[in-house]
Amino acid sequence: MTNNNLNKLLVFCVLFCAQKTSIVHGAQALETKVALLLHAEPENPKCFAEGMSDLTCFWEEDEERAGSADQYSFIYTYQNENSSECSVTALPAAGGKRLYFCRLSQTQLFVPLDIRVFRDDLLIHNRSLFIEVVFLLDPPANLTLTSTGMQGQLKASWLPPSLKYMGDSMMYEVSYAMAGSHIGKVEAVQASSELILRGLQSGTKYKVRIRVKLDGISYSGYWSAWTDPVLMETMPGDLDPLIVSLSLIISLVLTLLSLLVLMSHRRFLLKKIWPIIPTPESKFQGLFKVYGGDFQEWLGHSTGGLWLRPTYFYSEEFPAPLEVLSEVSLGPVLPSSALPPKASEALGEEEDEDKKLKRVDPALMEGWRETPQEHWLMDQLRAIHKHPAPWTQSSLLESHDAYVTLNAQNHSVEEPLDDILEETLPLQVLFASGRTSSESRSDLGSVQQSSGSGRLSSQSSFEYPNHTWPSKGPGYTYMAVADSGVSMDYSPMSSNKIDDIGKGVIYTNEYKNEIPAHRRPIGTPIHFAF
Amino acid sequence: MGPVVVLLTVLQWAGRGLPSPVRPICDPRVLDRFIMEARDTETALRGCKAGCGVTGTFVVPLTNVDFVVWETKDTEQQALEVQSGMSLFGQALGAVRESVSRVAVQILIDNNKSNIHSLGQVLRSLHIQDLPLPPAPAVGDLVTRKVSSLSELLHVHTNFLRGKVRLLLTNAPACQQNST
Repeated sequence: MTNNNLNKLLVFCVLFCAQKTSIVHGAQALETKVALLLHAEPENPKCFAEGMSDLTCFWEEDEERAGSADQYSFIYTYQNENSSECSVTALPAAGGKRLYFCRLSQTQLFVPLDIRVFRDDLLIHNRSLFIEVVFLLDPPANLTLTSTGMQGQLKASWLPPSLKYMGDSMMYEVSYAMAGSHIGKVEAVQASSELILRGLQSGTKYKVRIRVKLDGISYSGYWSAWTDPVLMETMPGDLDPLIVSLSLIISLVLTLLSLLVLMSHRRFLLKKIWPIIPTPESKFQGLFKVYGGDFQEWLGHSTGGLWLRPTYFYSEEFPAPLEVLSEVSLGPVLPSSALPPKASEALGEEEDEDKKLKRVDPALMEGWRETPQEHWLMDQLRAIHKHPAPWTQSSLLESHDAYVTLNAQNHSVEEPLDDILEETLPLQVLFASGRTSSESRSDLGSVQQSSGSGRLSSQSSFEYPNHTWPSKGPGYTYMAVADSGVSMDYSPMSSNKIDDIGKGVIYTNEYKNEIPAHRRPIGTPIHFAF
Repeated sequence: MGPVVVLLTVLQWAGRGLPSPVRPICDPRVLDRFIMEARDTETALRGCKAGCGVTGTFVVPLTNVDFVVWETKDTEQQALEVQSGMSLFGQALGAVRESVSRVAVQILIDNNKSNIHSLGQVLRSLHIQDLPLPPAPAVGDLVTRKVSSLSELLHVHTNFLRGKVRLLLTNAPACQQNST
């Protein structure tokens, strides 16, 4: 029993609440429509039909002049029919106004309706209308926005007003704008319950609303109120193919340009990124490639190699061959004392014709200084230079020349180069004439015994271009002198450039020495000057 | 060849008594066009002086539609009202055509008469058979009334088309099957 009562009470409450809600909603709708008609309809009373069988008319009066509802009479008459009266109700309105309403629940369409309003038997309003042309519908319900799956589109769908016979006579206006913007577009559609909005921006939120009106052919009326706006965001935009293609082209062009720049500066970049480790390979030709870094072996073969060395490897010193060949006949043998006794290099005769490069101790070179005797020798040499005689082996052998000979030390054992570089290589200049003996040349640095007589001849190398020193033959010993200012190289047949220590005159001479045995001054130092 | 000809002849004879099957015309725009042309005629001849020379009275059907009442009627009753009313308008427009002398007015009247005839065809397409018309309505009939001017005649004509005729066509059973 109690449960039953509770159930009833619950149902009553629900119905009451629903009715109250609907009443409230209806009141709000009525208030909206009244506001619309007050703006849209100039005639009085203002009437509108919401459905197929109803008609609501109202008029407005100032509060001051307004009377009670009983004072008003609403008389309506259909064509060819008797008049009828509608009961009037009054409602307060904003702005000190009062509204008087009359509502008909059964109407006839497509026939003229005549309305007259009286207040205290005084006609205040008179109007004739057709009810089917004063429809004011409720806004469409359930406005929904969905995505069509395509860019820049939204699909709006709604529920048409449920009016029988009038579905195909309804027209709609859809208003859409970007959220937050007041500028929008309106599209009209007729006799439909959905519309696809096109041309929208991608990834943008839009607000859409709709209103309805009868098309005016059979039925007509006023535009309904707008629905509450519905928001929805469109699909995010894909990359424009044009933009994508342009971006690809630009990136490709930039890549090609950067590659071109890199290729044009690759050497510079390689140097910076991967600097070349300097190696002494250029200075010691063949030392690493041929001899595997064996410096001793490289030295041993370097003399022969020097003959074949390309000239461009030598950027600094080009030892020009020095051949001292004097054509002056000195007659008496110049005493060895004419020459300042000074330690110099000795040159021994070789037993073989092998040519070896030897270096002379730089300290030895420092001891060479110009002396008056040297001036005489220089003169002799210059005279030779001025009148260089074509050198031939036979001429040398036969001419009465002054020769520069090199002493050879009586060493039977070939000492290593290091020992020879010490001040143990005196240089002796001997002037001999008529000596025709030719001995095998002796290596400068060699300590081999020079058994035969040796002659030292000099010849200016100006007759010969550098590096084209002709082969002199097996009977002569050649010594090339290279003076870099710091050290002096003595090497046979090397194109050394000889600097004049004292005078700065640079000339090259080739030495060919042939030390006569009887003339071999042993131990006598000779000062040789250029 | 011979049997085929015989067969075709037999079929044609059998189908002579029956109306040729016509596709139902359910497009409301067809009637809408008739309505608009009737409205245009009404507007054009509203300012006609002296009623465009038209005198006399015309019997016209009532045009009022009470949906509650209308829905209580079946299709046949609705069709009868529509057909009888169309007949009355046909007669009235014929009489008007006889009395007008202006060519422009004659053209408009002829157009409306043609539309009434076409509307009859539309009703037949909806399988609404030609029903025997009721006897000539008497004065005071609840279904007719009299008008005394061309403008009123045309106005009633427009209302009749917008109301009863359209309701009948919109809710014809043949069109309801197509829409569902």
